[in-house]
Amino acid sequence: MRKIRIPQKRGFYYMLALPALLVLLLFFVLPLLITLSAAFTDGRGAFSLATIIKTFTNPYTLRIMRFTLVQAALSTLASVIIALPGAYLLSSYSFRFKRLILALTAVPFVIPSILVVLGFVIFFGNNGFLNLFLMRIFGFSEPPLKILYSFGAIILAHTFYNFPIIMNLVASYAMHLDTTLEAASYTLGASKVRTFFSVTLPRLVPAIVSAATLVFLFCFSSFAIILVLGGGPKYTTMEVEIYRQARMMGNTAAAAALSLFSILVTGLLLVAYNKSQRRLAQGELYRDEQRAQNRKPASLVGRLLALLYTFITLLFVLAPIISVVVRSALSPAGFSLKWYRQLLALELAGSHMGSALPALLNSLVIATVVAIVATSLGTGLSASIARRTRSKTLLEWLGMLSMTVSSVIIGLGYFLISSQFRVGQSLSYLLVVIAHLVIAIPFTLRAILPAYRKIPLSYAHSARTLGSSAPKAFFSVELPLLKSAMASAAIFAFALSMGEFNATLTLSSATIVTLPIVMYRLIGSYNYQGACALGTILIIVSALVFLVTARPKGTRHGI
Amino acid sequence: MKKHRLMCVLVAILILSLPLFGGGKAERQESLIVYAYDAFTGDWGPGPALVQAYEAATGIPVQLVGSGDAVAMMSRLIAEGKNTRADVVVGITDDMVKRILDTDLLISYESELLAKIPSFLQFDETNRLLPFDYSNYAFIVDSERLERAQWPTSLESLADPQYKNKIILIDPRTSSVGLGLLLWSIEHFGEGQWLNWWQAMKQNALTITDGWSSAYGLFTEGEAPLVISFTTSPVYHVLNEESTRYQALIFDEGHQVTIEGVGILATSKRQDEAKRFVDYLLSEAQLDIAIANSMYPTNADVQLPAVFDWAPKPTRSISMDPERIAQHLDRWLEEWTEVMSR
Repeated sequence: MRKIRIPQKRGFYYMLALPALLVLLLFFVLPLLITLSAAFTDGRGAFSLATIIKTFTNPYTLRIMRFTLVQAALSTLASVIIALPGAYLLSSYSFRFKRLILALTAVPFVIPSILVVLGFVIFFGNNGFLNLFLMRIFGFSEPPLKILYSFGAIILAHTFYNFPIIMNLVASYAMHLDTTLEAASYTLGASKVRTFFSVTLPRLVPAIVSAATLVFLFCFSSFAIILVLGGGPKYTTMEVEIYRQARMMGNTAAAAALSLFSILVTGLLLVAYNKSQRRLAQGELYRDEQRAQNRKPASLVGRLLALLYTFITLLFVLAPIISVVVRSALSPAGFSLKWYRQLLALELAGSHMGSALPALLNSLVIATVVAIVATSLGTGLSASIARRTRSKTLLEWLGMLSMTVSSVIIGLGYFLISSQFRVGQSLSYLLVVIAHLVIAIPFTLRAILPAYRKIPLSYAHSARTLGSSAPKAFFSVELPLLKSAMASAAIFAFALSMGEFNATLTLSSATIVTLPIVMYRLIGSYNYQGACALGTILIIVSALVFLVTARPKGTRHGI
Repeated sequence: MKKHRLMCVLVAILILSLPLFGGGKAERQESLIVYAYDAFTGDWGPGPALVQAYEAATGIPVQLVGSGDAVAMMSRLIAEGKNTRADVVVGITDDMVKRILDTDLLISYESELLAKIPSFLQFDETNRLLPFDYSNYAFIVDSERLERAQWPTSLESLADPQYKNKIILIDPRTSSVGLGLLLWSIEHFGEGQWLNWWQAMKQNALTITDGWSSAYGLFTEGEAPLVISFTTSPVYHVLNEESTRYQALIFDEGHQVTIEGVGILATSKRQDEAKRFVDYLLSEAQLDIAIANSMYPTNADVQLPAVFDWAPKPTRSISMDPERIAQHLDRWLEEWTEVMSR
């Protein structure tokens, strides 16, 4: 087959990547390079390779690296396994609570990790709801389920945190797959199960791998969950070691070397992933209308399975969240709405509960801006990666880079930025938004890129042949096809921004108060119940926003 | 469409940010610049009220600058070096002090108020950092989950098998409270023995968390009846929950102390105002800071309210020479990790 060449087309797609590149290079790569350059010093500033060599060959570091990779791989695998049936249900059938489930998938991201850990403990812990329930029913004197403080607990918590992303990304991709191939398979006499495994699943692989990469990197740099729920130093990850070197020892050189090691390992994995992804991505029919909008599970068994799965996942996702909600009104001291009255300023608060409403407003404004901009930047970057022939591996890697770098190292980088500009509150807002963009771009990229790759080149080519300009072809032909992927991207960007804590604190010199910051302050001053009340408000507001965003737009007649 | 919207947003943000870009500079000229950790500077911390009272008393305007936690603040100060615009720095703790005392960033200040501060709290002989509040690390017990007869009475007794899975500890690699217990055990048991104690504690620890927040959260959720925290922790529950359920355990062998210091920058051009600020912190502001931070005041003249009866002061405070910490910490942490992860 001869390659069709359309002149001047690439120039436009080059340009689309520019805004994202600018943000990433200026506000991430540059400070990162400065921070990482410390790895090539001996700690006093003189050039030396000793730190690097020592770090890369230290058996202790290698052992930690192995554990970090193993737990991330297992967590990712578990998340994929749990997520796939859900993605299948969501994309194939319409049923009650479908929208609610989609809206809830991003909720874990808005809750700061400390509340997730607490939510887990409140539900699964020795004194948690589950154990209390079992003890009451069956009359055990000791908590029967010892779920927490083990390797399994780490995987459990990571799965809770991450399978919703995979479910959401794969479902929003699958909704747009053409169903004629399945129809053909049925016509040829294949069973439903056979069709799923030989026809549907292989075509979902790009989206699955894409989402799984994201989850892998997320688990790779996990911190609080691993230490607290794992039970201690037996389960040490690279992130803990980087933290120790950077923060406790003040040894930036060692921290930078460890981080460099992480970046190299995850970078290699990403290159391998890229190779596989390119082989898999071939243009195929891509439909605008969502597949099987109104289909209901046909058989009774199917219906029961769908119900059972929905129930289990809802329980799984909701349990820790509900624990936070319940805990906000119910303490060991009894039922009380005191914290809500204080949050709504109905009751005079002794602590900083009064700053909750302005903080909510701050969070909403920042998260909305971040969601819109990050989705736009992610779309531009995706277009460029999907349509450019050269250096797309590099671009894709760059788009994922912020996920491969330890948050402590990113913190040091932001610290460099903030010490350069430390004036004016509006500038702080801008810096915070940019930092959130850097964090959100990998997610928007993962959400949009697989969908973009599925759009056949011929669509844009046809448009060009019919006389439209490259931008027109992009905006009126390709963009509308990306709507649901972009909605997913926006939801995750919004959630990440709502839940972000460290960068906000560093960059604003504590002048911008967001909801997670107030929450950490409450916890820092012993007020866990107030933090749970605030967490509840965060959960409700976010779920409402997601519900609106995930609403299916009126079906359009496209191609 | 998307693109245009994006551009609009970016341009709007840029334009909005311009006016305030210059706004901050004017302030720099006149105010005393005080760097403090985040929990001190916010509306909820002791900072704002302190500044207001100080400004009213002296007429000197003060600008508080929050810089993350205490470690981040110190790193920032060291990174800025001679170019820092800070006049005073508040909240550097005694265990981490070596890094800043190795520089010549701070200047010695022999305040008259030092006479009122017990000598065991004066961790910096050169008086470049002056102690303004302190607390002691202690195990807190949940009296509803552990009978009084079973309460541990010493570090040694904590290692008893009866406390299996009943204690929540904190990782010294990631938390200053965790580090506090590590140093406490080394001071108490000595170089040869401290690891044996940890070996036994490993069985008793339900989990070892990343930081104080998750440890104390797990504790108040009822996961375990014992947690490492501060002698001053029960105060919150008495004040806000009218509950005396959580109590600090006082051991005869003494408790590791954590002290927060304030210092004056050598580069400051406002030395007199800075000294007045430090004196204010060590006198009039003592009680408010103690209550807001849940710490003890260092000034011995200060009378504590009755609620502090629930924060019993140990008979003996233990502290470690910062020089020794800096010299051995890396090795200690490695040995600790080795024992605890076996």
